[in-house]
Amino acid sequence: MFFISGILLSLIPAALLAQEPDDIQQGQGSATVTAGKAQFQQTCGFCHGPDARGASGPDLLRSPLVNRDVNGNLIGPVIRNGRPEKGMPAFQLPDADISNIVQFLHAEAKTAASVAQRIPREYPLEKLLVGNAEQGKTYFYGAGKCSSCHSVTGDLAHIASKYKPFDLQTRIAFPSGAKPVVTVEDSSGKRIEGEQVYADEFTVTLRDKNRWTHTWKRNSVQVKIRDPLAEHESLLHTYTDQNIHDLFAYLETLK
Amino acid sequence: MIRVFSLFLLSAFAASAQGLDPNAILNPPNSSWPSYNGDYSGKRFSSLRQINKTNVEFLAMAWAFQTDVSTGPGLKSTPLLVNGTLYFTEPDDVWAVDARTGQQVWHYRYHQNEGLHIGQRGLGMYKEKLYFETPDAHLLCLDARTGEVQWDVVLADVKLGYWATMAPLVIRNHVLAGVSGDFNDLHGFIDCFDADTGKLQWKWDALPKPGQPGSDTWPANTDAMQHGGGMTWVTGTYDPELNLLYWGTANPNPVLNGSTRPGDNLFTCSIVALNPDTGKLVWYFQASPHDVHDWDAVQTPVLVDGDFHGQRRKLLLQASRNGYLFVLDRTNGKALSSTPYEQINWTSGVDSIGRPVGKREKYPTAAGTLVEPDAIGATNWMSPSFNPETGLLYVDSHDSFSLYYAFSTGKPEGFGGRDLTVSSHCSLRAIDYQTGKSKWVHELGQGWDWAGVVSTAGGLVFSADVHGNILALDAETGQTLWHAYGGGPAQAPPITYELDGRQYVVVGAHGVLYAFALPQKLVR
Repeated sequence: MFFISGILLSLIPAALLAQEPDDIQQGQGSATVTAGKAQFQQTCGFCHGPDARGASGPDLLRSPLVNRDVNGNLIGPVIRNGRPEKGMPAFQLPDADISNIVQFLHAEAKTAASVAQRIPREYPLEKLLVGNAEQGKTYFYGAGKCSSCHSVTGDLAHIASKYKPFDLQTRIAFPSGAKPVVTVEDSSGKRIEGEQVYADEFTVTLRDKNRWTHTWKRNSVQVKIRDPLAEHESLLHTYTDQNIHDLFAYLETLK
Repeated sequence: MIRVFSLFLLSAFAASAQGLDPNAILNPPNSSWPSYNGDYSGKRFSSLRQINKTNVEFLAMAWAFQTDVSTGPGLKSTPLLVNGTLYFTEPDDVWAVDARTGQQVWHYRYHQNEGLHIGQRGLGMYKEKLYFETPDAHLLCLDARTGEVQWDVVLADVKLGYWATMAPLVIRNHVLAGVSGDFNDLHGFIDCFDADTGKLQWKWDALPKPGQPGSDTWPANTDAMQHGGGMTWVTGTYDPELNLLYWGTANPNPVLNGSTRPGDNLFTCSIVALNPDTGKLVWYFQASPHDVHDWDAVQTPVLVDGDFHGQRRKLLLQASRNGYLFVLDRTNGKALSSTPYEQINWTSGVDSIGRPVGKREKYPTAAGTLVEPDAIGATNWMSPSFNPETGLLYVDSHDSFSLYYAFSTGKPEGFGGRDLTVSSHCSLRAIDYQTGKSKWVHELGQGWDWAGVVSTAGGLVFSADVHGNILALDAETGQTLWHAYGGGPAQAPPITYELDGRQYVVVGAHGVLYAFALPQKLVR
């Protein structure tokens, strides 16, 4: 389906990366949810599955009734009265138990609906650490040619302390933030250089060293744009997944 | 009694100058754009040539219509044009606007609702009726004269996670409506309603039931097939001679983790041919067997009658989200060729029946897998255009890389993972369907471009770049001949029409619909 699933590094400030809140609604009501889960598994789990996702009885998380229920106004009567025509018996449970089951079902439905819609903010290091640091080092100084631009005692010193593991791997695949440098030469031969602010096929705008911006029609001047990430663009076409994971394992040692 | 009634209806419509005769969609005049793709073929090609290569540089704004909807996703709808009135949408809004002046005729606002407001792609029309899918997955019938609601039927249950965005397709008295929603392990379907009454005529389910054809492509004795996805969210096309409806289906669920659904997972990521009178499946072609990258196959199936490698054929072209151009024989669904039109790294080729074979090592993993393209895909819902005079298919395409993560623990649900785009370059490609190769590639910038395309007999291709520049390109070379900036992303596919001897190009940019035309003094 169409959905903006990822975040484009070059267009979005790095601060936004993988910063979506997730699993926030732990805590409040979790005691009743836990109690409700136990009660559900004991009373309902045999037919509806221990996780409420269906067994011989229907999946309750994809049930219109469960999804329309507000504080047990629809689920409660079904538990108390059963659905004899469909083979579900009535359960005479205390109100508190029914309320806990309702809380559990809603919490579980919410989890099912939202699970994996976002990359977890704190992505576990052990999931990413599948490469070989030694091979990563070899690649860094060898085939990857990383050392022709980067130094583990210079720009990459303590890199693993600067970035969370997930962000570090993302930046290995493609770093964000470095803006192209634009050089413009007008018809008189005058040259001006600066950081790219905007460029399309018609115009170019740069910011000069005094922080003023200048805009030209591209067909009226000579424009050169140097993208400092061009090497990383070409790496995308040669990286193997092993290269990325090995590099990550190596850079992760640079605490 | 019934006969008398229908005779009365006929005469009433003959007397009414404002309705749309459903037969007119078969061969629409240049003064109309009566269905999502302009005609049933999905070509989005206009035979108009008043605006052409020699004069397009003088193209200027004729009018602009401000929707005043500042917070929504912006205009993504293809306007309909019938009898001088344009009809277009945002998720909760429908407008009727005078196509000559840009003056509002009426505005309908749907009530607040919890459906996903991700976009709205347009309307269907029959006689004096308009059909509108709401974010909470209702199908509304509006009176085209006033915007008043005539009837309202529920397409799907928003509480389960369905939503709707697409423009319904009208064939005779059938209104075909698809649905969206893949966060929640639902199932896709196409509903066909009686155009007059809203009564359900048939339903085609994208997922088979146990024992039905296709069910053997899902694991037995689990509920995977029941919750297996296959949404139907982009308008299909229709061949009146074959009486076949062509529709693309979306990805399987869970989306990025296929471990609980081993098999091809029919009829997800497929192009299906249905009988529009019965909803019966006539043939299918699966573009991505067992998809694990969210690359649905809903992209417009473009119907072309033309030569293929020396033989005249009834063809179906799809530039698919997975990066392949599929050329099918649309009488039987057999693939004549399957060729990548964009750079991709996820297949080892195609099998004996033309289906791409995915590399196992490019499946999403917990540690991340670098895949080209990203989950947005090599293209997406953006309307392509086929120009029979150049023989080229114009496609808004993306060359992108993404790290795909499958990180769900336990039984995967919903997306079962997520991808993170690390690089994306957009371009408009002019693809020779004989070879799958691009005759030219016009770069549109970095990021994601959502502009659709229309091509004309004036030798022009209209589209837009990622910055929001609306472009007129030379259809033969891809050179820019004209541009205008509309002040925001241009995501509503352009259309063109002629009224009172003047050709207009209409395109939306964020919340404004623009009409461009040549200065009056040039068109006398």
